[in-house]
Amino acid sequence: MKLARQSAGRFQYQLSEEEAQSLGLLVEQFPVGEHSRVKNSKADTAKDEREKLLNESLAAHRKELRLMAGDLIRPERFKTLGAGRLFSVTAEEREALLQILNDIRVESWRLLGEPENVDMDVSSLPKEKLRYYVFMCLAGDFEFHFLTLQDAK
Amino acid sequence: MPSISEPATTPGPSVGTRSEDRLAPTYYVVCWNDPVNLMVYVTHVFMKIFGWERQKAEKHMMEVHEKGKSVLVRESAEKAEFYVHRLQGYKLQATMEPAE
Repeated sequence: MKLARQSAGRFQYQLSEEEAQSLGLLVEQFPVGEHSRVKNSKADTAKDEREKLLNESLAAHRKELRLMAGDLIRPERFKTLGAGRLFSVTAEEREALLQILNDIRVESWRLLGEPENVDMDVSSLPKEKLRYYVFMCLAGDFEFHFLTLQDAK
Repeated sequence: MPSISEPATTPGPSVGTRSEDRLAPTYYVVCWNDPVNLMVYVTHVFMKIFGWERQKAEKHMMEVHEKGKSVLVRESAEKAEFYVHRLQGYKLQATMEPAE
């Protein structure tokens, strides 16, 4: 994966065919699991009403991201380029993509039981949970590349 | 979560001209460590939400990573709540705590 071009609030990433397919399949999974409700147990100041509002706001935000997720993986965004694909997004879309990827990563981690060490021994995982491990790792990998490729430019 | 001392660089209270401004309660916005959010992502979110330079964002990110939490800003209840909502929207664990 490479940052092919960055100009005027638009990003173009060069992906291999496998990377493009993985990104599409991963974003298609959003949202992974239910929205995990926020419980501000660490702060006495957060009243029930505040928590309710926060959870409503987060649920609404997730709905918006869900709409954007569908748009982000439209086939037209992945133009053929040699043996790979050229994936184009605006800065705003890229920001939404990062949030979607991180949501997938965090919710997959929760479904794995919130392990303290994310580099866990996969052989100990029940078969039905393996997919969440894959989602968590893949999402983190894409996040890392989207962020560091930008910084390297 | 390890017990830690308050970070050395805590933003000062906002300056008010009216007496009620000075008396209005303020809150710390605190970000907590977790094993899943990537360091580059946390830095990115701080830069995005607070408009900080990378250096400042990385300093707070490292504080979260090494000490378990970082006090990000001190604000009025409404603003602190706004920041907590935004941080939670990015899937970071954030809370607000009374500054007094």
